[in-house]
Amino acid sequence: MIEAYHLSKVYSRGVYALRDLTLTIEKGDFLFLTGASGAGKSTLLRLLLRAETPTEGQLKVGGRVLTDLSTSEVQNYRRTVGFVFQDFRLIPRFTVFQNVAFVMRVLGVDLATRQRKTFQVLKWVGLQHRMNAFPEELSGGEQQRVAIARALVNDPQIILADEPTGNLDPELALDIMNLFRDINARGTTVLVATHDREMIRHVGRKSITLEHGRLVEAT
Amino acid sequence: MHLLRYAFDEAAASLWRGRRSSLLSTATIAIALFVLGAFLVVTSNLERLAEEWSGAAELSVYLEEDISGADRAAIERELRSDSAVSDVEFVAKDLALKRFKETFPDLASTMGALEENPLPASLDVRLRAATAGGSSVTGLVERMRVTPGVSDVRYDKEWLDRLQRGVGLLRLIGFALGGALIVAAALTIANVVRLALTARRDELDIMQLVGAPASYVRGPFIMEGAMHGGLGSFVALVVLALVFFGTRARFILPLATALNLSSVHFLSPGLAVGLVGGGLVVGCLAGLVASRRA
Repeated sequence: MIEAYHLSKVYSRGVYALRDLTLTIEKGDFLFLTGASGAGKSTLLRLLLRAETPTEGQLKVGGRVLTDLSTSEVQNYRRTVGFVFQDFRLIPRFTVFQNVAFVMRVLGVDLATRQRKTFQVLKWVGLQHRMNAFPEELSGGEQQRVAIARALVNDPQIILADEPTGNLDPELALDIMNLFRDINARGTTVLVATHDREMIRHVGRKSITLEHGRLVEAT
Repeated sequence: MHLLRYAFDEAAASLWRGRRSSLLSTATIAIALFVLGAFLVVTSNLERLAEEWSGAAELSVYLEEDISGADRAAIERELRSDSAVSDVEFVAKDLALKRFKETFPDLASTMGALEENPLPASLDVRLRAATAGGSSVTGLVERMRVTPGVSDVRYDKEWLDRLQRGVGLLRLIGFALGGALIVAAALTIANVVRLALTARRDELDIMQLVGAPASYVRGPFIMEGAMHGGLGSFVALVVLALVFFGTRARFILPLATALNLSSVHFLSPGLAVGLVGGGLVVGCLAGLVASRRA
């Protein structure tokens, strides 16, 4: 599903965010990316989202080399990827329902389908009863559930999550991780970047550890 | 269709959210197009005035005191055979004096005190509207000046030329001033749209991350620019119409009568549509430029 070959990303002044990374992630895998801040976790996710391009090496997803994609192909590719941020990034002026439906709205999906799928996914994350609330009325855990619902509503093949529990207390963090496990159980490939090793142990899935951009451990 | 609806809804919501700054940009484009529209009203009416004056333009060929009937008839024939001439009327000395007294009644007694009629006989030549002010008339005037039996030739061309040059200059000033104001209005619209864009940065990031087409990302901002421009130009047109029809009876018509202009018109439907369309286009372009950073 995801193949990285000798992948490097160098920022200005020669700082390596990723250095010679080679790895393969199978379809349907659940993988943690771990390491200290600045280890290169977020950079790898941004490369996978095609928000950035590698300085060296090659990154393939579903057999397609991401750097070879045209602008419209990047748009099509991103529609197959769901992204979850640490700070939720919900739109304050939209209700829960509108935040989730927004993705389909800007992709030109008709109203009936938008309503049906948004309701389904909100029900799945257990927030159908809060669909008319605004983000500021929700707890951190609820906001992250909305963000996950938004990432899921387009039926992505891959979910990328960057420190999704970083702003949550341990109990809520575990709830969110269970949600990711359920998503993975449906066949979706899940990559979660986190520095919380305790959480990784608790969830008990594969992980790779990055240090100064290099892959130092895979379990 | 979905895209248009989406762009319209988002642009309308954005206009409402930023209604204070929207008011500013709408007002600037309204002022710019009001100025341009006012110049268009004035110049289009002055153009009609020039046309009417051209239609009424006359050539007066003054005859020598001792001209024979045969010479006079020959001059009249030559004038009538010219394609620029519409009609020729012989004004005898007595008729010239009678007309003078009718036109200037205050001076009638002074003229009456003279021993003999000082006014010469003349041939008053009415020109065709299409040829008035043209080079063929100038040639005719030159020929008449050297024709035996002709003492002088008076032609209204100078006045017509001055009027046409004045209209041209006025239009140039109007376009220059209106153009400068439109550029300023376009910059204001672009800045207001850019503010709206900055306020929605999070939304745009999310749209780009989920693979929204560029038309959905930029469309609402182009639409917002078009709304600013369209609304501003519509306001300009309404205010212009109110000012024109509100002052027509009291100021404009008396002025027109003084200038011998038969009637005064507001902007033609084509110019009015052009003005609103121009506002829309300027707004669209401003939105397009502003949304390049989206």
